[in-house]
Amino acid sequence: MINLVLILPIIFCIFMFFIKNKTLNNILITLYSIAHVLLGVLYFLNPNIIGNNEYFSLNSSNIIFYLILSIVFLAVSLYNNSYSKNLEFDNKKMMHYSTMLLVFVLSMTGGVLSNNLGLAWIFIEATTLASAYLIYFNKTKHSIEAAWKYVFICSIGIALAFVGIILLTIATGNLNSLNYSDLINNGAKFNHFWLNASFVFILFGLGTKMGLAPVHFWLPDAHAQAPSPISALLSATLLNCAFLVIYNVYKVMISANCIAYAKILLLIMGFLSLFVTSVFLYHTSNYKRMLAYSSIENVGILAICLSLGGVAYVGMFLHLIGHSFIKAAYFLTSGNILELYETKKIKSIRLLSSVDKKTAWLWIFSFLGICAFPPSVVFISEFLAIKAFIMQQHYFLCGLFLFLLTIILYAMAKVVFKMVFDNTSSSRVDRARENVQKLGFSMYFPQVLLLLMAFILGIYIPKFLDIAIITAVIG
Amino acid sequence: MVNGLIILFGLTMLYISTTSRLIAHTKVLVVQGLLLFLICASGFSHASITAIVFLTVETLLVKAILIPWFLNKVLKKTHSNRDTDANIAHFWCLLISSLILFGGLMFSMVHIPSLSMINPVCFGIALSTIIISLWLITIKHKIISNVVEFITMENGIFLLSLSVAKQMPMLVNIGVLLDVFIAIYILGLFVSQINKELGDLEVSHLSDLKDCENND
Repeated sequence: MINLVLILPIIFCIFMFFIKNKTLNNILITLYSIAHVLLGVLYFLNPNIIGNNEYFSLNSSNIIFYLILSIVFLAVSLYNNSYSKNLEFDNKKMMHYSTMLLVFVLSMTGGVLSNNLGLAWIFIEATTLASAYLIYFNKTKHSIEAAWKYVFICSIGIALAFVGIILLTIATGNLNSLNYSDLINNGAKFNHFWLNASFVFILFGLGTKMGLAPVHFWLPDAHAQAPSPISALLSATLLNCAFLVIYNVYKVMISANCIAYAKILLLIMGFLSLFVTSVFLYHTSNYKRMLAYSSIENVGILAICLSLGGVAYVGMFLHLIGHSFIKAAYFLTSGNILELYETKKIKSIRLLSSVDKKTAWLWIFSFLGICAFPPSVVFISEFLAIKAFIMQQHYFLCGLFLFLLTIILYAMAKVVFKMVFDNTSSSRVDRARENVQKLGFSMYFPQVLLLLMAFILGIYIPKFLDIAIITAVIG
Repeated sequence: MVNGLIILFGLTMLYISTTSRLIAHTKVLVVQGLLLFLICASGFSHASITAIVFLTVETLLVKAILIPWFLNKVLKKTHSNRDTDANIAHFWCLLISSLILFGGLMFSMVHIPSLSMINPVCFGIALSTIIISLWLITIKHKIISNVVEFITMENGIFLLSLSVAKQMPMLVNIGVLLDVFIAIYILGLFVSQINKELGDLEVSHLSDLKDCENND
């Protein structure tokens, strides 16, 4: 079954290449997303039929990452059905878009399912190559600039991560394996100097891909220029793939009893990410860039939770789920706004509440969710992070954390409410009213689904997920 | 003999930091590819026969022939000859690169000998190559120069993996090959597209996307 999830997109890509039909593309993408979710469901029903092998497996440490990828991909594929109908491109270009979308999801799936650090690295590199085309899809001057920065900065980051892997092989001494389980089981024998050095390179290298400050420069440009379904995937799933590798290497550091240095690095990068977001969010004039900065903030929170440990680990997994679902909904809704107003400028978006009520409410609920208003699951995760700060007596850091989050909340709220309720006349409003008919049912439904899950999880966590989180934390 | 080849590899980085002719940059890539091929062929990689054969073929075909050929094609297509506007004069580039090379060698000579599995000369040169390449990326103004320095950095990383007297899994070798080849292919394609879109290959032209500006 696990192999099927990796082979299916290749078969579908071949079909798309020969048939070149928009409807078929959408059907195949949706079919793959359903198969993707089914594997996750099967894991909970009967893990023995998953068919784990030497290189790929679905286990307690990656199941949450896999489920997030599956659900977000399903939502994106549903949204894509209506979204792609509005794209006025020929069948050939749409075939390129659909095949690259499948290759992108395939490479993320490979990265999440990999048992081996080297293999995960290859898949993370493959995600760069596949998503570069998708960012460049609109073929404008700005999209090429964003794609160039993305490919160049991320390729350097990935190359530095490879230096980290080489240094890790030095640290491992006689062990000739990059399998996570081997690395964790033999961690106690590793050389601490080389292990620390390797973590620095892996954190900075994959931190680039994850969007952690100060190596985040590609992220606002790429997220803003990519088509909205791709932005949703970039923000809600790609960043998680890079984080999973960092998390696995961090587990090796724990097994080697060598985390003091890694903790400080994660904490610094986490707070830097919050700081960068709080500063830049005030100046941004583009609402998709605003969401991109919010992603930097949230990966910063993930890094802080990882660094704090203890209850913050549970917070980290909840934040991972909450951020992915809500941010995907947020980016998809930004796609609706772009369809309506045909611009990404914040100052041109006014009276959203009267133009399209459904999009306006989705926009507000996405904002409330991401800013941790209860019952959003993000509230629980940030609450657990604060609890960890207090338990470890980091009162100053706790204050700083809350202060930066408040600035970010204010900056986002100002923009969101202006866009929705400000009744200053804008030339775009009339055109936006005409464009409402472009938005089909499937351009609202996936966001509702994602937001509902994010808000319900803030009140009730199903037993299977609770067990999955606890096992992932212990494992 | 092998150490001589490695030092020669390090010296190519000094040459690349002092020349502004882009065609000379691609020639340096050919030389680096050949040197890496010779280093691999002399059995330096401490790997199995299959891995050595794979690595030598990879370095000769991809690093010494395919990539320089592809970049040459891009240079001709975009009519790019020189990168004359680097932020720092050639003399200082040479001086700083030499210092990095010296520093890298000194670091590995002092710290590495305690570890039997690492060749200090190879490790030091590889480390210096990576640092020099990253530094050159920050000071050069042409996109194509940045691509060349990215490849020299990849060559440095390849040398670093050779410096460890341990067999890197074959999987990783294949991954590196894929990484280099496809990354260069995409970078090359982007260079052509950027040239078509902007009519020039200046990095400064790629700074339109900012927070304060209304660019959509």
